[in-house]
Amino acid sequence: MTEKKKEEKVYRQLESNKLLQQIMFQYMLEGHQASEENRLAWVTSGFPVEIPVAMGVGVSYPEQYGAVVGSQKVGPEVCGYAEEIGYSQELCSYARASIGSVEKPDQSPMDGLPTPQALLAGNNICGTVLRWYDAVSEQTGAPVFLFDTPPITDGQPDHHKEYVRNGLDRLVDFLGTTFNTTLTDERMHEVADLSSKALELWNKSLTACKTSPTPLNCADRFLAMAPVVSMRGTELIIDFYETLLDEVEMRVKEGLGAIRDEKIRLLWDNIPPWHSIFRFFNGLAKRGVAFPADTYTHAWSGKLKIEGEGDDLFDSVVSIYSNVYLNKGLEAKIDKMCELIDDYNLDGFVMFSVRSCKRYSLGQLVSKEIVSERTGVPGVVIEGDMVDSRVYNEAQIQTRVDALLEMFM
Amino acid sequence: MSYEGVLEQSGLGLQELVKAGEEIIGYIYPHAPLELILAHGLTPSLMRAIPGVSSGFEESLQTFACSYIRNLYNQRTNDQLPQITGLLFPSNTCDSLQNLTDIWKIRFPDDRIYRLTYPVTRYADDDSTRIYLTKELEILSKMIESTLNRPFMMDNYERAVSIIREFRHDAQFLYSARVVDPEVLSYTELSRLVRSFLTAPLVSVASEIHRVSSLVKEKMKSKGLLNIINSIMSGFQEKDFSKVKPFKRSPGPRILAVGGMVEPQAIATIINGINGVSDSIIVSDLLSFGFKSVFAPPLDKNGEPFEEMAKSILAAPGEPTQEGLQYRMRSLKDLVKALHIDGLLICEQSFCDPDQFEAPSIEKVASEAGIRTVRIPIDPELSDRARIEVKIQTFLESAGYT
Ligand code: SF4
Ligand code: SF4
Repeated sequence: MTEKKKEEKVYRQLESNKLLQQIMFQYMLEGHQASEENRLAWVTSGFPVEIPVAMGVGVSYPEQYGAVVGSQKVGPEVCGYAEEIGYSQELCSYARASIGSVEKPDQSPMDGLPTPQALLAGNNICGTVLRWYDAVSEQTGAPVFLFDTPPITDGQPDHHKEYVRNGLDRLVDFLGTTFNTTLTDERMHEVADLSSKALELWNKSLTACKTSPTPLNCADRFLAMAPVVSMRGTELIIDFYETLLDEVEMRVKEGLGAIRDEKIRLLWDNIPPWHSIFRFFNGLAKRGVAFPADTYTHAWSGKLKIEGEGDDLFDSVVSIYSNVYLNKGLEAKIDKMCELIDDYNLDGFVMFSVRSCKRYSLGQLVSKEIVSERTGVPGVVIEGDMVDSRVYNEAQIQTRVDALLEMFM
Repeated sequence: MSYEGVLEQSGLGLQELVKAGEEIIGYIYPHAPLELILAHGLTPSLMRAIPGVSSGFEESLQTFACSYIRNLYNQRTNDQLPQITGLLFPSNTCDSLQNLTDIWKIRFPDDRIYRLTYPVTRYADDDSTRIYLTKELEILSKMIESTLNRPFMMDNYERAVSIIREFRHDAQFLYSARVVDPEVLSYTELSRLVRSFLTAPLVSVASEIHRVSSLVKEKMKSKGLLNIINSIMSGFQEKDFSKVKPFKRSPGPRILAVGGMVEPQAIATIINGINGVSDSIIVSDLLSFGFKSVFAPPLDKNGEPFEEMAKSILAAPGEPTQEGLQYRMRSLKDLVKALHIDGLLICEQSFCDPDQFEAPSIEKVASEAGIRTVRIPIDPELSDRARIEVKIQTFLESAGYT
């Protein structure tokens, strides 16, 4: 029997993946078209994308491109193009992959991302993005807009809200001048409705994973989240999330798990190793290990429109985009992990310590101890990188995960 | 003198203060509101990464945390930090420091931690950053008052403004004078003076700097160079070098040390350790604990205190949080030309995002300006010192300087 068939035995492919591929393809085409029409912006994953979308600006998402580079197992090469022009191997590999692909598009997957006319960076995920986008700006000549959301420790004080709100006003001005466009209330509401709808559907699929066996495994969620991250606010993705939810609900109803024989349920923390995503999760699936929840895909749950709440969308943007997972402190991350372990009835957790991402990873050694203490379940920290497979030691990771699994035997 | 010896010497003021029972607030990021801390009757002291600390970070930090924060954390776990009453951490400046603060708070719950969250906005033509930071400073002040029972005293504040203004003025003059004549004061001495003040901003240290600056002024006056030096000083202050008066370049290599949270004293020690090379080759630095701290504008005593402090912090030169890369590189390009720089020492703290992202752009600027560069990966332990020395030596040789 071939390896692939064996894998199919333990892991159930989602039918909706076909639709996912189609919309991702269409998304790519739209990106190229927008670029040709001089209305393309690159955005970071935590950027309030609803605003450029409502203003008719096309968006491409370089972190997703990094994931593609990783999945195609060309991380070392594409990151290497950035290293050749002086960017240290110690820097974030999403940044290196994107800088490298701008440097040598013809030697990068899909010939790189379409050329941007503006770069929209939100530092609610990390401080790296501003330096990275500055570097891309130097390469492409596209101007950077920086949306600053100072990190939140104990709630968001008023002066903080006002400051972020000012940033939003400046964003609208910046897009207006750069792309000769305007923002209407009506269009903003339309986009916010679509964005909220997509997030609602997505959240339902996530929540369904509380069931045992879980209808979605980690890799499923990581792939399925792409549209809600990059295309929130567009009509295109609603259909996909409806189809996904139908399939998820069908699985729940029929007791079908994402993996065929779920024995152990674990939490995943951090970005996945894109270069080994199937190998890693399916390898564990063979041993009955499922990942019904993770801290990353759950980060995309902030709806702009909440019934019964005020109608000022900008206020909502200020609060939602400041309160994203990575913009809060370690305590908040620990709370979230404990909550997920509890709500999803998990037996333990795996923390991927990603060399690239200091914002996500520094603190994991501390949170591992506390989460175990609070929840009573064991966890393990494995180290590597999501794109750059040169710093991913599979054998070492295997040994560590084995040690964790032994605790459940 | 060994690097340890150098550090010890410039930390003497702090030891004295501790002995005298003064309360110290340690700070880590260069742009801390010194006047605010002094106004509360406390002494701000810039913490430093030091060599020779035993490890201790491994249980809490991964190896890809920058070498600077690993060192500070090692000091804390090994009880090697100076005796301080509280620690002021910055927020929103870089990811390593951001996360370090959270870790520190959890691991050392009894430490008194303050946090100042900086805005990161460039070229906003509104006053939102100023308003935001002013409020942050007010909150910090209230927090200090409530936790330490030390109110903000206006007379303390006014004294602090004067002494820091005097320090900045003198240090700025010395920085500018060295550009014209690097031999007038050694880089080692300048960095020692600046470091001593940042470690313990005492009147005695400020007076020493003032004495040195007066002597240098006399010498430069006798050579008829004061006008030129003043034009350089304004160039630095206004980030505009178009009005720098022409001057005759000093003989020998004219190197500029660039980078972020790197100790100027470490650079001076390394350079002096190279056979046959003196630190007069370093014409200036653009490092955070040197140039960037010195050239933050002084405060207007008559303005509203918190607003004045916010304005000064926001106008500090060369920080990536407030100035975009393009702006900084344009400024660097003008600077190297106006100041006859012919080589750049690009210092990078290992695993430091801000340093490592900027280095390729600096190389590009240098190459366009036709000057050479050498990249120096550095850590607080100077663990690679021998290799760094060879690298700099080779750089100087290949540029035809030796
Ligand atoms: S540093 Fe982390 S959060 Fe920032 S872009 Fe890289 S992977 Fe994403
Ligand atoms: S050395 Fe760099 S990464 Fe480390 S704290 Fe300073 S700026 Fe941050």
